[in-house]
Amino acid sequence: MLLEREITSWKRHKAGFVVEDVSTIIKESVEATIGGNAYQHNRVNQWTTSIVEQCLSQLSKLGKPFKYIITCVIMQKNGAGMQTASTCFWDNSTDGSCTVRWENKFVYCIVSVFGLAI
Amino acid sequence: MEEFNSGEEVVFNPDEISVSVKEVCSLILGNIIINIILNAIGWMTSCLLISSQCVEGVIGGTDYNQSKVNQWTASIVEHSLTHLVKQGRPFKYIVNCTIMQKSGAGLHTANSCYWDTATDGSCTVRWENRTMYCVVSVFAVAVAL
Repeated sequence: MLLEREITSWKRHKAGFVVEDVSTIIKESVEATIGGNAYQHNRVNQWTTSIVEQCLSQLSKLGKPFKYIITCVIMQKNGAGMQTASTCFWDNSTDGSCTVRWENKFVYCIVSVFGLAI
Repeated sequence: MEEFNSGEEVVFNPDEISVSVKEVCSLILGNIIINIILNAIGWMTSCLLISSQCVEGVIGGTDYNQSKVNQWTASIVEHSLTHLVKQGRPFKYIVNCTIMQKSGAGLHTANSCYWDTATDGSCTVRWENRTMYCVVSVFAVAVAL
């Protein structure tokens, strides 16, 4: 009985939206793209595109039956205030999201991944 | 003859109306108008209308205020989502709102989606005033019925 429950919950965990895996994918992608660079107006366009595309390809490689939405915000450290909020209307048992806040000395980077089960 | 009692002259200053009163009035009026229009137009246009209406209702005419910005973003996303859901279309929604103070900093956002392009879609509204930028993104993913 206990073993059955363990197996079911493991199966659900593997098929569902696993926050830790997604979080790792995001962090690697941001590190690889921005690393220790300063905010450069002419390159930041490539960075955001590169981050979302890398994340998306890694996530689709996971092979889970999900639709993904990935958002990336890069902001120069200049003393400005910024607030972000998001709300979702979905199926709580199958869908999930993961947000990673990353920073270095010159920029903030916020990446959100939303996974919706098919 | 009636005595004309001239009291103190009070100038009606719309800027002094609190945000909450403005918000409620704008939302009520917006609700009525929107419901009429939404029935006739496609979902993308209605998303745009809803988002811009919500942003204008919550932060139209105010300056960036660090203590209130938390309420504003929460309010914008909640109201947008409520209006979208009220339309009754078979979609799952994700509403994202970013408010940034205008202080010369650079900001870049991007999003990428892995979905069925025939049935799913997104729309983004950019709004600004003298002291801040506001970007609202709505993503709609079709639900298999």
